Amino acid sequence: MTFLALTAAQAGLLAATTVAIIIGLYLLKLRHRRVLISSSILWRRVLDERQSHSLWEKLRRIISIVIAATIALLIALSLARPEIESLTGKNERIVIVLDTSPTMNTNTSDGKTRWQHAAERAKSLLDSGGPTTEFRVLDTAEVTASAFTTDRNEVRKLIDTMSSKSAEPHFPRVDGRAAQVYFISDGVAIHSTPSFVKRISVFEPANNVGITAFEIRSVPSTPLGYEAYLEIQNFGQPTEAGLTLSGPGGQRIIKTVRLETEQTYKDVFDLSQFAEGGIRATVQAKDDAFPMDDVAFAYLPIKRKTRTLLVTKGNRYLETALKLDNYVELSVTEPASYRESPNIDTYIFDKFAPNAPPARPALIFGTPSAPWLKPVAGEIQKPEITTWSEDHPIMQYVSVHDVAIERAARIDADNLTVVAASKQTPLIVVSEKPKWVMLTFSLEASDFAFHVGFPVFIENVLAWFNRDQLALKRSPGIVDVPLANAQVQTIDGKTVPSEQQLGKTIFLANEPGLFAALRGDTRVHVAVNLANPTFSDVNRSIFKTDRTAARQQFWLRRELWFYMLLAAVVLISIEWFTYHRRITL
Amino acid sequence: MSTANVTLFDDEFLKKLEYLNIISKRLFAGQLRAERRTRKRGTGLEFADYRAYVAGDDFRHLDWKAYLRLNRLILKLFEEEEDLPIYFFVDSSQSMSYGNPSKLDYARRVCAALCYIGLANLDRVNVISFANGIKSEMPPQRGKGRIFKIFRFLMEITPGGETHARASFKTYCTETRRRGLAVVISDMFDGNGFESALDILRHVRHDIFVIHIASHEEIDPMLRGELQLVDSENNVSREITITPSLLAAYRAEFNKYCEAIESYCGKYQLGYARTVTDFPFEELVLKVFRQGRFLK
Repeated sequence: MTFLALTAAQAGLLAATTVAIIIGLYLLKLRHRRVLISSSILWRRVLDERQSHSLWEKLRRIISIVIAATIALLIALSLARPEIESLTGKNERIVIVLDTSPTMNTNTSDGKTRWQHAAERAKSLLDSGGPTTEFRVLDTAEVTASAFTTDRNEVRKLIDTMSSKSAEPHFPRVDGRAAQVYFISDGVAIHSTPSFVKRISVFEPANNVGITAFEIRSVPSTPLGYEAYLEIQNFGQPTEAGLTLSGPGGQRIIKTVRLETEQTYKDVFDLSQFAEGGIRATVQAKDDAFPMDDVAFAYLPIKRKTRTLLVTKGNRYLETALKLDNYVELSVTEPASYRESPNIDTYIFDKFAPNAPPARPALIFGTPSAPWLKPVAGEIQKPEITTWSEDHPIMQYVSVHDVAIERAARIDADNLTVVAASKQTPLIVVSEKPKWVMLTFSLEASDFAFHVGFPVFIENVLAWFNRDQLALKRSPGIVDVPLANAQVQTIDGKTVPSEQQLGKTIFLANEPGLFAALRGDTRVHVAVNLANPTFSDVNRSIFKTDRTAARQQFWLRRELWFYMLLAAVVLISIEWFTYHRRITL
Repeated sequence: MSTANVTLFDDEFLKKLEYLNIISKRLFAGQLRAERRTRKRGTGLEFADYRAYVAGDDFRHLDWKAYLRLNRLILKLFEEEEDLPIYFFVDSSQSMSYGNPSKLDYARRVCAALCYIGLANLDRVNVISFANGIKSEMPPQRGKGRIFKIFRFLMEITPGGETHARASFKTYCTETRRRGLAVVISDMFDGNGFESALDILRHVRHDIFVIHIASHEEIDPMLRGELQLVDSENNVSREITITPSLLAAYRAEFNKYCEAIESYCGKYQLGYARTVTDFPFEELVLKVFRQGRFLK
């Protein structure tokens, strides 16, 4: 027996003192009430007979002392929080790491999912611990991280609230020296664990045909045309799979393919007959155990040419780039001839800006002086681009880290979104309302126009100004949209709870789906698809249950002091009952 | 007479005595006052038997009619009629002071009542107070007028000492005494056993009547907890813990004790009446009468 609250010596001293006090109190003779009776003849007969015949009468006093001492000892020693390893287990800490990767949603042969099996195993681990065992539960999505607690019910409730997440799993940081760490997983998504981790596998082979890639892309030969690229793979037994692409106007493409084990099927579908909107791809296969990758979404925008007015004194690079853009219908004019026109979709000002902001969006190169633009506060020589936002739509697929700039204007970027900046000044800023994008350097003062990303940048800006864009690609889990203060809706128009964080809108998407983030006239589509062969390959488990993961079950579910106090209460009740009936003294 | 005495033998008590006297006469109607048949043959009026005449017999008792018929001298025998000596042995040991009212007070009343009836029947009433010996003895009294003397004697009895009935009765009976009715009024708590004491009275051929007085506190003691029981007679104490089972055992023992006395009395055809101190004494007296030991 060990004591958690006292040392062995202190506990021994406490016990000895308690027993001594109890025996001392018993030895302090209780003064008997003196009662005069007429004759003791009959009492003598009764008592002599009883005392001579009853062992109980002889032992009664000793038993009373023993009971009282036992009660006192139970109470006193319960304060010391005793522990008997064979009854209650060791005082230890157990960390349970539950794999919440998407593959844990795979169905098993008994109708449950791997996650449900994992939760059951976690609860059985709770049952295996002693009363003083502290538990902590973590997940691989870094969503759940409880503190150490001995309250199993609390941990049980926490496990019940947990679920398999769609986020990319990571084994959490755990100190293996201070606790035993159990990892309950199917061993698919997380491939390596620290050596001290005891692994418990809930893996069971399953059939799965999943979509591993789905996207809508432009047709190079047809500038305004789109096609869908679909890739599916069979991770189970050979089977036939049915593919379906459906559009918002009732358009549908259906195809059936035979897939051998590990075979991948790739196909491209012409979407010229499809209306603008969400495109849904589904795959159906017999005994498919992992439904999460059986559906994927994309957004089909409708393309049209942007009527663009370039206002410049002459900029060959820019003019050439715009003329080469298949989506641009270009007009060029000098600043002196500039007139705002309702037939223009976008203005591009090269080192020029009108006195009033145009009614349509504008891309501005250099930092011309205008009342609606930020005033120039100086000039920075050779600024280096140190930060840029890849998430912003105008910066998608644009690399600016090696852009050399000779000089740039210093401006105050208050109320503007900075998408690229040096340490000294913003270099590319965006105004949401009125809608314009400004580069604080001119193309002549940089080599940006010679970079491969420049046409993409122009295309992104024009698309952001006027066009519907392809949906952003995201994985299930926490999804971020680079659009601040936006309202998120499903493709059916239902609002999804969202939060704002660092200029982005964040929402949770546990299932694949097509979402739209809306703010004013701005609409950003987000296609949330699993489309990840790592997750779809639900049979690629890398471990089995470790032999050391088996645990001994203990009979007592609470700390020993609880049972000691309970026993003391029972003994007090018995003593009370027997004392008042003068069975004990 | 002290206040206690006045309470014990007050007017109310005297009225009850008169009532008992009348009741006793009604119960035993037809019996003559002071005419108690004895085994002696003598000069009484009640015919007893015949026997042959022998020289020296009183001629007045010859049955001449029988002589004429049988031609033999036959003497008529008559029962001797004499007053009945009644001995009231009142236990005045310390244990008799127990109870509320005390057993001694109750014994005094019962004794006084029986004495009154005895005196009214012209019997010779003797009252003896005993404990571990004869403590006091009242000379034989006769006639109703002596009742107040008996009252005074009874009131002067003080409780004290251990009970030793055998020694007391032996002392009394070794003196020359006439046989009579011995009424023992006691709580029967005698460490040496009451049977041996009653044997003494039995052996001298007294007609014996035992009035066993108990108090409620003895029959059903209301004791609880840790107690030091002190014997009122010898001050011997004993520490005990009263438990329900112990009380039950005591009650069983008390009943066994009473049954033993009753059984003894039944075995030797002794009169026996057990009472408790709150039982009306007049009822007890009538109960005694109904047993037929008095007023034969």
